[in-house]
This record gives sequence, C-alpha cells and structure tokens, in this order.
Amino acid sequence: MQVYLPIAEMSVDALLLLGIGFGVGWLSGLFGVGGGFLLTPLLILIGVPSAVAVASGANQTIGASVSGLMSNLRRGTVDVKMGLVLLAGGFLGSALGVQVFALLRRAGAVDVVVALFYVVVLGVVGLLMVRESLRAILRRRRAGPPARLHEHFWAHGLPLKTRFRKSRLYISVIPPLGIGVVIGFLSAIMGVGGGFMLVPAMIYLLGMPTLTVIGTSLFQVVFVAANVTVLQAWQNGTVDVVLTLLLVAGGVAGAQFGSALGTRLRGEETRALLGAMVLAVAAALLWDLVRVPDNPFAIGRTPS
Amino acid sequence: MIRALLPPMLLPMLLLLSAAPAAAQGDRTLVSRLSDARVEITTAFTGADIIVFGATERALGGDHGRDVLIRVEGPPQSMTVRRRVQVAGLWVPGPSATFPAVPSFYALAGTRPHWEVLSEAERAAARLGLINLPMRSVGEQAPVFRAALLTLKQEAGLWIEQPGEVTVDGGRLFSARIPLPASVAPGEYRVSVLLVEGGRVTAWEEHRLAVDRVGTAATIAGLAVHWPLLYGIGSALLAALAGWAGSILFRRG
Repeated sequence: MQVYLPIAEMSVDALLLLGIGFGVGWLSGLFGVGGGFLLTPLLILIGVPSAVAVASGANQTIGASVSGLMSNLRRGTVDVKMGLVLLAGGFLGSALGVQVFALLRRAGAVDVVVALFYVVVLGVVGLLMVRESLRAILRRRRAGPPARLHEHFWAHGLPLKTRFRKSRLYISVIPPLGIGVVIGFLSAIMGVGGGFMLVPAMIYLLGMPTLTVIGTSLFQVVFVAANVTVLQAWQNGTVDVVLTLLLVAGGVAGAQFGSALGTRLRGEETRALLGAMVLAVAAALLWDLVRVPDNPFAIGRTPS
Repeated sequence: MIRALLPPMLLPMLLLLSAAPAAAQGDRTLVSRLSDARVEITTAFTGADIIVFGATERALGGDHGRDVLIRVEGPPQSMTVRRRVQVAGLWVPGPSATFPAVPSFYALAGTRPHWEVLSEAERAAARLGLINLPMRSVGEQAPVFRAALLTLKQEAGLWIEQPGEVTVDGGRLFSARIPLPASVAPGEYRVSVLLVEGGRVTAWEEHRLAVDRVGTAATIAGLAVHWPLLYGIGSALLAALAGWAGSILFRRG
C-alpha cells in the first residue's frame, strides 16, 4: 500500500514504514532507548531527504518516549528538578542546533554533516558502551568488589551547588545544564532523542542513581524532541507528520514485544549488544562517506 | 485511479471526436484534448498518466511530411546541482550551480523524433527538446553541472524525451501517454500540441493541466507552509497522543 508523504513529496510503501517503525520499536523496547539513532539513518536509506528524516525522527521520538515517561511519572522515578535543569540546557542547545541546521541546509551540507555527526557520536558512544559492558561482564566472572556509588572528580567542585533530593545528589547545576545543551544540540542535528548518550552521561558524569536515570532522561528527551519538532517545522518546514504517525504506530507495537524480551536478558549483555549495534550503524555510515559515490553530483530544490 | 479509468474512457472519446461533423470544428486542422484537466495528489498518489489525444484534418505520417509533437511543461523551479569532492578521504559537498528557473517537469513526444521533424533553429525558437531548455545558471559554470542536471532529472522521470511516443490510428487519430511520477511538483502545467508540416509548425493548441494536492495531503502541506508554528505544535501533540494511545492498545499482560 503506497502512501504519499506530503512534506517529503514522495510515495513510500506504508507497510515498509510500519515495518521499520516496528523493528526500531522492538529494539528500543529491548534496550530501553528511543531508537532514533537507528531510525533516521534507515529513513535516509529508503530515500527520505535527510532534512525531513531528521525533523520527523525527532517528532517520532516524542511518540516513542511519551508512554515510558508517563509510567515513570506514576512510579515517581522522575527527578523533576534535575529534569528541568537538563531541559533548560536542552532548549538552549536544540534552538541553537535548529539554527545551525538551517545554515547547513542553505549550504547544501546537511547530508554529509548529519552523516559525520552520526559516525563520530555513534562511534564514540558505541565503543564506550562495549568497553564498559565487557568490563562489567569480566568483573562479574571474577566476582571482584562492587563499584563505588559514584566517583568524585572536578565536575563536582563547581559553584552553584543545588540539592537534587530525589537523586540524593548535592552538585553544581553547571554539569547537568551543560549536558542538556550538548544533547539538545545533537538532538536537533541528528533527529534523535539522545537517550543513548544521556543515560551514560547521567550515570558516569553526574553520578545519578539508576532508579531515577531512565525516568529523568525520558523527561528531557520528550520535551527536547517536542521543542525540536516545533522549531524544525517552524523554521525549516521539514516535519512530515504522515511519516511520523506511521513510524509511531509501528514503533509502539514493536516496543511492547521488545521490552517483554528485554526483561529476560542481563543488563551487561544487553548493553554489549546495543553497543555493537551502535558501532555497526556508525561503520555503515562511515563506509558511505568514504566509498567513491556512484554519481558525484546530486540535485535538489534550492532551499529558500 | 486515473490510470485505471483511462483506457476504457479513451476509445469512446476518440470515436466521438472523429465522428463529429467537420463543420462543428470549423476549419481547424488540429483538434486535441487531455484525458483530464486535473491531476489530484492524494495521500495515496503514486504518479499518474495523462493522455493527450486528438485528430488532424489531413493524414499524418512521414510519407506525408506531417507530424505531431506534444510537449508537457511543469511550473518552473530553482534547482541546485552540487558536486561531491574528496577531502581527507571523505566525500563532502563541493562546488554547486543553481539553475533559478528550470521546468520542474518536461516531456516531449512525437510521431517521429523531433530532431527529424524540425530544424535546429525552429526547435530552439519553440523551446522543443531538453537541450533548448533555458538553463542559465548561477555559481559554477562548468558544463558538467548542466549535464548532471539533465541526467539526474531524466533518471527521476521528470524530464522525458523519447521519440515515437505518439501513436497514430487510421492516419488521422493520434494519442500519447505521458507518465507523471509520484515526485511531480504541484502547480499549473502547460500541454502544447503542435502540428508540423514540411518542417514548419502550422497549427498548435495549448491546454492547461492543474496538478493539485487534495484532501489530507493538501491540508497537511497547506498547514505546514502557512501555519508552520501551529503545524509544529500539532505534530508534536499528535505524536505524543499516538504514542500514548498505542501503548495502551498494544499493552501486553
């Protein structure tokens, strides 16, 4: 069944979009991440223009994350104060990101810059994930001493210290604000929620307890994605809501199956698998940048 | 939809046209029609065929030195051609050329190849053939950019130039099928039918074809263009609503 995407101005098989949504949703349910980092490259692969894929990817992230946020709010595992600090940074970062995106579009560099960001960010995050999870697996085998609650380093010596009661932290607001800005910026450029970067940042940089990490990151992801969606639609006109809704429909179905399987896997193995997948996506995108293109020329409508 | 309706529709129309008394058509040497004055882009749009058909007073064909050319031209668009160059092992976007006003769609069909029918000067004057499109550009002037635009537009099925697409029945009835791909730009298209006799255009007709987005596709595109802020907020809310409703619908256990 073909469906015409009014903003992308192309005709795509609706079942293909539902299937991509389902597959990404399944993996995101399994690994507990939004899956935007897989979705946007897949959309570009099937011929959706990069600009539309990024903007609609951010839009889709809202749908993929909202139910998770709601159940975390109900369980009281969201540190709202921390979330608001992250969000303040996130709004700033994503507003900046959308401006940069508009500039790139005018320079005709969106495709390459988006791909480069993916390669670098996914490469680094994937390597860190694989390394960390392999260490955890080895540590478990050797049954060594448990890790400390959290490490103290320079970031904890900054001014503007605030108490985050729910996360049992007394730290400066500058690190979470900074993390918010960076993730917000990447979210706008890459069309991802950023959960896969935010969660490790919260654990390793802020030292937040695992209990509040997922809920709080979802809080940030949903609102930053909403901000990116509105700004992309407003400034670049690249959000395709038909595309978004098809992906969300497939995604929520897939996520339920994925999370059912996810509860049966061990944390470290899941993280190692996720890391390997992130690395595979990065490698595929890098290959696309390095190999000699079939046609060095590309045409497109001149962006206004 | 249009594709499915056409073949049964076309025959009776052609018969009607040819059976009409000569007086009703006055002294016109060429009569032509479009199968549809409007192509609708719905959310189920996968492209459409437009059929141009008609009749001439005198017999067509190479032996008589009489041919029909059909040209379809879409609204002008500004296109940018960009070349990727290798920098430090990576293929990054390099120089570009912008063509401020090239037709978004262009098709030329004829009973014979147009270069056999008309002289080069005549073709240039009448804007017939892809090489006669106005391709002034801003930026890089190298001819490869022009060539790339020609190739890529043709690969996308948006610029078509194939000879022998107009079929002739009984010497005087002609018809041609022009395929519009799903990626056509909406707007007003002009369809010209030219009768060429002895190397000169002796009669011509022009029709207007509206390619419009309709229904949901039109509403969405309209909102996105005219009310972008509202559209953005709506998209965000819709995605949230769909995600929430979906998680209830698909909840297991």
